[in-house]
Amino acid sequence: MTAPLVSVRGIERTFGTGPAAVHALRDVSFDVEPGTMVALVGRSGSGKTTLLNVIGGLDRPDAGSVTVDGAEITGLDEDGLAELRRHKVSYVFQTFGLIPVLSAAENVGAPLRLARTPAAEREQRVRLLLDLVGLAGHAEQRPGELSGGQQQRVAIARALAASPRLLIADEPTGQLDAETGRSVMALLRGVVESEGVTVLVSTHDPVMMALADRVIRIGDGRLEE
Amino acid sequence: MIRRLLPALHWPSVRGRARADAGPLILAAVVVAAVTALAGAVPVLLTGTADEAVRQAVRDAGNQAEVLVRADWEYDDGSLGRVRDPRSTDALDDLRDQALDQLGPLRDQMLPPIEYAEGPYLKFVGAPDPRSMRLAYVASGSGPAVTWVAGSAPAASAEPPDVEVPYTGDPWPVQVGISETTAARLGAGPGDRLRLEDGQANSRDVRVSGVFRPADRADPVWQAAPWLLDPTLGADGPGVTRFGGLLSAESLPDARLAFALDEVSRTVRFRPDPGSLTLDSAERIVATVVTLKATSGSSATRGGSQWATALDRLLRAVHDQVDAARAQAAVLLSAVSLGAVLILLLAAHLLAGRRAAALTVARQRGTSLAALGAELLLESLLVAVAAAAAGALIAAAVAGGVAWGWLLPVAVTAVLAGPGFGLVTAYRATRDKRVPANRSARRRAGRTAALRRFTAEFAVLAAAAIALTVLHQRGVQDSTILPAAAPALGALTGALILLRLLPPITRLVLRLAVRSTLPLAVFGAARAAAATRALPVLALVTSAALATFAPALGSTIGAGLADGAWRSVGADARADLPARPAAETTALVERIAAAPGVRHAVAAQVTSAAPVVVGGASRPVRLIVVDSAAYRALLADTPLPALPALPASGNPLPVLVHSADGVLRAGVTLQLTREGAPALDLTAVASAPAIGDTDDVVLADAAAMTAAGVPVVPNTIWVTGPGAARALAGTTIVDRAVVERERRDAPLVAGLVGLAWVATGTLLALGLLGFALGAAAGAPARWQTLSRLRTLGLRTGEARRVAAAELLPLALAAALGGPLLGVLLAAVTLGPLDLRLLTTQPTDPALLLPWVAVALLAAAFPLALAALVPIEAAARRRRRLSEVLRLGGA
Repeated sequence: MTAPLVSVRGIERTFGTGPAAVHALRDVSFDVEPGTMVALVGRSGSGKTTLLNVIGGLDRPDAGSVTVDGAEITGLDEDGLAELRRHKVSYVFQTFGLIPVLSAAENVGAPLRLARTPAAEREQRVRLLLDLVGLAGHAEQRPGELSGGQQQRVAIARALAASPRLLIADEPTGQLDAETGRSVMALLRGVVESEGVTVLVSTHDPVMMALADRVIRIGDGRLEE
Repeated sequence: MIRRLLPALHWPSVRGRARADAGPLILAAVVVAAVTALAGAVPVLLTGTADEAVRQAVRDAGNQAEVLVRADWEYDDGSLGRVRDPRSTDALDDLRDQALDQLGPLRDQMLPPIEYAEGPYLKFVGAPDPRSMRLAYVASGSGPAVTWVAGSAPAASAEPPDVEVPYTGDPWPVQVGISETTAARLGAGPGDRLRLEDGQANSRDVRVSGVFRPADRADPVWQAAPWLLDPTLGADGPGVTRFGGLLSAESLPDARLAFALDEVSRTVRFRPDPGSLTLDSAERIVATVVTLKATSGSSATRGGSQWATALDRLLRAVHDQVDAARAQAAVLLSAVSLGAVLILLLAAHLLAGRRAAALTVARQRGTSLAALGAELLLESLLVAVAAAAAGALIAAAVAGGVAWGWLLPVAVTAVLAGPGFGLVTAYRATRDKRVPANRSARRRAGRTAALRRFTAEFAVLAAAAIALTVLHQRGVQDSTILPAAAPALGALTGALILLRLLPPITRLVLRLAVRSTLPLAVFGAARAAAATRALPVLALVTSAALATFAPALGSTIGAGLADGAWRSVGADARADLPARPAAETTALVERIAAAPGVRHAVAAQVTSAAPVVVGGASRPVRLIVVDSAAYRALLADTPLPALPALPASGNPLPVLVHSADGVLRAGVTLQLTREGAPALDLTAVASAPAIGDTDDVVLADAAAMTAAGVPVVPNTIWVTGPGAARALAGTTIVDRAVVERERRDAPLVAGLVGLAWVATGTLLALGLLGFALGAAAGAPARWQTLSRLRTLGLRTGEARRVAAAELLPLALAAALGGPLLGVLLAAVTLGPLDLRLLTTQPTDPALLLPWVAVALLAAAFPLALAALVPIEAAARRRRRLSEVLRLGGA
């Protein structure tokens, strides 16, 4: 049995204090095996995004621990978290989050620049990833010249650029039509197969849940798996 | 009925928006209040300053401000000869009363008139140096108060008082009193007959009745003839010392008999009372005096009065000065107004951006644009009115009144900008207009937008070009704003050009950064390329340019004042000596030259209005007779122009000349006319430096002059060196530093230079405020991008550097483009502003850039950037990075 890539134990997260306090996560614990695609499902306000933020180190829990690839991240400082994001965890945003004045290739290469990857190696990796997401012919186009689905593909390619162990996607198809959304989810599925990366994705769409290796349901801040 | 016509206001929304955006609203209010205080106070202060400038000019002008009313004496022919008129002073009283009647209500603005009668030029016979004598009667109601230290007051020379004297016969005796100084110089006392002859070498019988001491040397009555107290050098020609003999009411009739009828003047002298003058009353005086001069000039009949004065020229010169100061103040106020307008637009734009979501929701809930506009207008009206009222109160407290003209652009912007941007934001958020799907339609829409932008920019460019043209052709006039706004419009045009240059520059930098191995450079350049906004660039560059222009104006005036003081004094210090033997002056110069801290000391004979004939016409010139070699060495020790070589002798006598109109120039021949001596031929060999406050200068070498038979009696000593003023202690000293300080402290100059520095501070503050607002406007997008980059592994310190890189083009545009533009504007527009009128120079002062101020200004924006980014980062750090996963945008 392989060790889990993500291990979540007893996570608590509350926003606000007193009577107005909102308990976003209550004693959440689960593991995610490496090389799998896990869908996080729940209604709006159920705590999906908070859970993804805590796992990705974008938010800190009030209690509990999160281990990613053997590293306890809840105790990391800002620089430690930056290192984690640079090498182990990457994100795909609902709104793509591309830099508008950079071309698709330059956007994809951004994490490699931060990791100070040599130019030749970076360019080779960018070409590979753009090919992987089916945008080899759009390398020099800027985000504004691409469709929504194409932009999300560039975002996925960028998320894969630094060869992360974990890819977190919070409703990556939220701004796409159903057809494009399905193709993006298929791409993520393919990435799991081809790159061996672990994907943690939040979604509402039952069709997309079918592509996942595992579905974790969350409601009112608790796991309903 | 009216309530039904007005859109319904949703008061909770109005209150809620005001509470949520209190910061930007207070900021706009502060800008409005500050500019209102400045623009409301300055014109009022300037009016008061103009009045003070008129008073000061009249005070400083001395006799130049006098109004002279002359009339001929009535014929005094009898049956066998001339009849002595014992009531001569009554004739002067009559002239005074007649003149007062002609002045009308303006008589209240005049000091008590001085009745004055002066005899012709008389020459001392057998004197060791050239000496002349004039007899004068002065009275202001009664004769001047004197103490007779020896002898008695002049008495009548004949009994009975109305004796008839044959036309031919011995010279008629006249009794005069002489001052103690004159008595000492002449070695004369009561009972002595002075050896005098007139211009035709006819002997005259003038006898000293007594020696007097004035009760008050400062009595204005003496100003009519100061040589009655102290002998004066140069008043009757170069090297000639004039002595005075005081006539009494009793001896004046004898003086009339002693000379030909028209050789004794009958004059009343008026001087304006400086304390009662204002610019307006000065204008009325000018109009009246010009009319009296014109009408009296045509009066050739005996008994009519003739008016003569330079007061109209003097007051017109002050008026020109005031106009120039007003023009320059208008330029500065238009600069501050434009800066404030741009900042208010920027603040309103920021406010609309902050309110975009709330305004969109309001529209989606059914609020009409009219209602929304009314709510926003009400809010901005309240803020603008309250702020303007506060500013007006400050202006009233400082200046004693408020001028409203300059407030209009700022007030209109403050009231309309917020609602305007708010409505556009609300309209765009809810309009049913999508970006066209096909490319050609998008291109067409882009071309339409570009055409709109080009039209607006062309309008600004055209306005600036017209303003500059009008400024150069007609200068700034009271009633026209356009030329006064030329520098401001020029700055705005320059900022527009820079705005168009920035995108290609930032794109080029981005291309270079992409090829580099520096990750932060790429992200910084990418943000910078994406974040160029029009309003911040326009506001910052315009403010920075005008903040450079304003101190350039102030420093150029300052430099002009310094140059003017050098030109007026001619050295570090100057001594104006009373008439004295040349040997005494030579000894004094030697003593001064040996004093500590003195580098050069040169004595000269300076005649302020020596009559010179050139081209058949006589013109008064400033005649300087000096040791040219010593003077050349002295001038080389000053910033004044060098003295060309002057041949030691020659016939005609070689001289250097200078005149503003070019009549006196190298190559012309001149004649120096002298009382009682033949004219001296001169030839101009080169240009003289313009030294002194007159335009026409003739400079001759002392040795050559002496060799030509013209006596040289120095009356001026120029001294250079740090100890110059100290070395001249005990003489009538003119200290250059004091002259310069007095000119700097003159009301108009001090007011204008002060305004230039206040405008500089205000514009710099507006520029920095614009920088903060520009940064704030782009902050949401900037930190959202940075947050996303942080999810890729960007560290917090690196994020600050990327943020700084994004703001760097704006800071550099302001720090480099602004001052450069300001310097260019100063070079192009200072000329037509007639700065010479304030610096008392014959030509406009050369542009002097305040490099320290420019450097500080240039440094202010990068420093602001260095301070702003950590503050912004600290403020943003409070927001959780997790928010970015759900937020849209870049």
